[in-house]
Amino acid sequence: MLRQKVPWTLGLCLALIAGLAGSGCNNLAKAAGDPKKVRVGIVFDSGGKDDRSFNAAAYRGVKRAAKDFPIVLRDAEPGDPASLEPAMRAFAEVGYDLIIGIGFAQTPIVEAVAKDYPKQNFAIIDGVSDLPNVASLIFKEHEGSFLVGMIAARTTKTGVVGFVGGMDVPLIHKFEVGYEEGARAANPKIVVIQNYVGVTEAAWNNPGKGKELAVAQIGKGADVIFAAAGNSGLGVFDAAEQYQKYVIGVDSNQNWVKPGFVLTSMVKRVDNAVYQIISDLVNHRFKGGIHVYGLPDGGVGIAMDQYNEKLIPPDVLRQVEEAKAKIIRGEIKVTNAMEK
Amino acid sequence: MALEREKSLMKGLRQLIFPLAAVLAAFVAGSFLVLAVGDSPLATYQLLIGSAFTWPDGIGYTLFYATPLIFTGLAVAVAFRCGLLNIGAEGQLYIASFATAWVGITFAGLPAILLVPLCCLAAVLAGGVWGGIPGVLKARFGAHEVITTIMMNFIAIALASYFTQYHYKPPGDAILETVPIGEGGHIARLGRFVPGLPERIPLNLSFLLALATCVLVYLFLWRTRWGYEIRATGASPAAAQYGGIATGRQIVLAMALSGALAGMVGINEVLGYRYRYYDSFSSGYGFTGIAVALLGRNHPVGVILASLLFGALLRGGLFVDIFTEHVSKDLVMVLQGIIILFVAAEAMFRDRFRGPFGRRIKGV
Repeated sequence: MLRQKVPWTLGLCLALIAGLAGSGCNNLAKAAGDPKKVRVGIVFDSGGKDDRSFNAAAYRGVKRAAKDFPIVLRDAEPGDPASLEPAMRAFAEVGYDLIIGIGFAQTPIVEAVAKDYPKQNFAIIDGVSDLPNVASLIFKEHEGSFLVGMIAARTTKTGVVGFVGGMDVPLIHKFEVGYEEGARAANPKIVVIQNYVGVTEAAWNNPGKGKELAVAQIGKGADVIFAAAGNSGLGVFDAAEQYQKYVIGVDSNQNWVKPGFVLTSMVKRVDNAVYQIISDLVNHRFKGGIHVYGLPDGGVGIAMDQYNEKLIPPDVLRQVEEAKAKIIRGEIKVTNAMEK
Repeated sequence: MALEREKSLMKGLRQLIFPLAAVLAAFVAGSFLVLAVGDSPLATYQLLIGSAFTWPDGIGYTLFYATPLIFTGLAVAVAFRCGLLNIGAEGQLYIASFATAWVGITFAGLPAILLVPLCCLAAVLAGGVWGGIPGVLKARFGAHEVITTIMMNFIAIALASYFTQYHYKPPGDAILETVPIGEGGHIARLGRFVPGLPERIPLNLSFLLALATCVLVYLFLWRTRWGYEIRATGASPAAAQYGGIATGRQIVLAMALSGALAGMVGINEVLGYRYRYYDSFSSGYGFTGIAVALLGRNHPVGVILASLLFGALLRGGLFVDIFTEHVSKDLVMVLQGIIILFVAAEAMFRDRFRGPFGRRIKGV
């Protein structure tokens, strides 16, 4: 009885799979979006697009571009570093016009994929590539961090300020060194404690460890902590609220996350950079090479809004504005930790 | 004789029915889920399966993803045949991959004819030792292998990360990976031999090695005395001991072999794909290997089929994730979960009628 059933069941399954596979190839082309439109794919970092910080800023930028231009937009949130490359290759394979990698970890991946698909355009945030079809979007984070460092030093009552970095890498040292120099410029006797969440990609996505480090720093007297740690930074926000201290946000304007406890945010306008590169592509002006965003163009800066206007006195703001002008004019040189 | 062969072929085909039914049932159950989140199940499955079987990218990547799963599936299956549950394939493949890269970096100057075998040996040895330790702990002290292999996973992953971060990372590099291995350690991608398959697809000779390993494992388990003793130990340790088999030695052997098989993932990863050790490269190959072995009924042929299925799901899941409105790659996880539930349920159903150990003893 069962014996006769075997080939029949097998045949049915195989026919079903073949049918789905056959029709699926057409569906793949359809699902990939109208090829007559400009198609943009974005591959987020491990933090994911809801990290309220770095990736969130990029997501805002592409969303805005999708509203303003007739483009097809798809995104991928790989979640672990090993899945970044397959996601990027998936976009390239179906012929997307611009593929954006968010975060320095994707630099070698973008380079490898861009080499295999020289006719398609790529962009990388926080990374640098020499390939002609790759636009490298980088920021002067050290200069923005200098400004929040000054605010931190002018706000602290204990003379101790903290820094919680995400992954222990040169890019985040840029934040740390700028912050420390800014704090010293405002108060030469300031004590800066710094810690990093970890040495792997997971360090961007570990709010528990972020909170632990912040609590430890508060224990050592820190009353203002700058969190440059992606999703892990949200743990620092928690600690600040719990112990009634101040935290400084990063990348996105995070002043609203814990109102009253967020002194300011060192915004890095990843959204503007991403929007700009899509708009360039749509208007046939896309150029590879390095695009730098800094203080003069608002690429980095401090976030002031209704949530923190009462936290920072006008004379502190005036001092920060002066420093900003001096940095732009080149009178203050902030160390770029990546160019040592 | 011919009748015998037909009978055993039929028996083999019959073994396929339940796993296939489980897969179908999972897809049916999954389609309700797709409907619930607001996409079309038909379009989603078309995308899932279609993207896994396009030529060359779909098929190339499906086979590439299947390669490590064949190794880890075999690893779990061999241990299982000895009555052991190796949860440690993940750690074994990590430590083996790092060892492979270490040999490739330290002896970078060697020519391919020496470096490739040396690296492969490192993968097998490192995996074998890492798998063998829980085997010894079990045979000597009765420490349960599930606990020890899980703990060994943490140690392996942390050790490899540590050495990568502090000793083998290119200075100033932001990414947690070692320096590249010597050119001599690279093994060819299949694109070099197969017309129409571009070399950018990382499918490489280790896929063929994986298939060959399946044959070897089959021959070992069913055609040698050692294999027989391992299976006898798995079927009933007391009976095996009574029959004069040193079960302790079989446990150590099976675990070491299992670890060595898991370690061969390093050959695919380091020699065939990235040419370096890349921290946390494995997206759970060791754990998926348990599902592969379960679905493949701990048989090499089943392991190949299950690996192809899971490889296709990995590849298709990526496309479903990116190119559908609502469905995320979690759907693939759910599908995997349901498949495993059905397969496990089937085993329960069967055992109820045959007694708890009836079938396994018959199978030896």
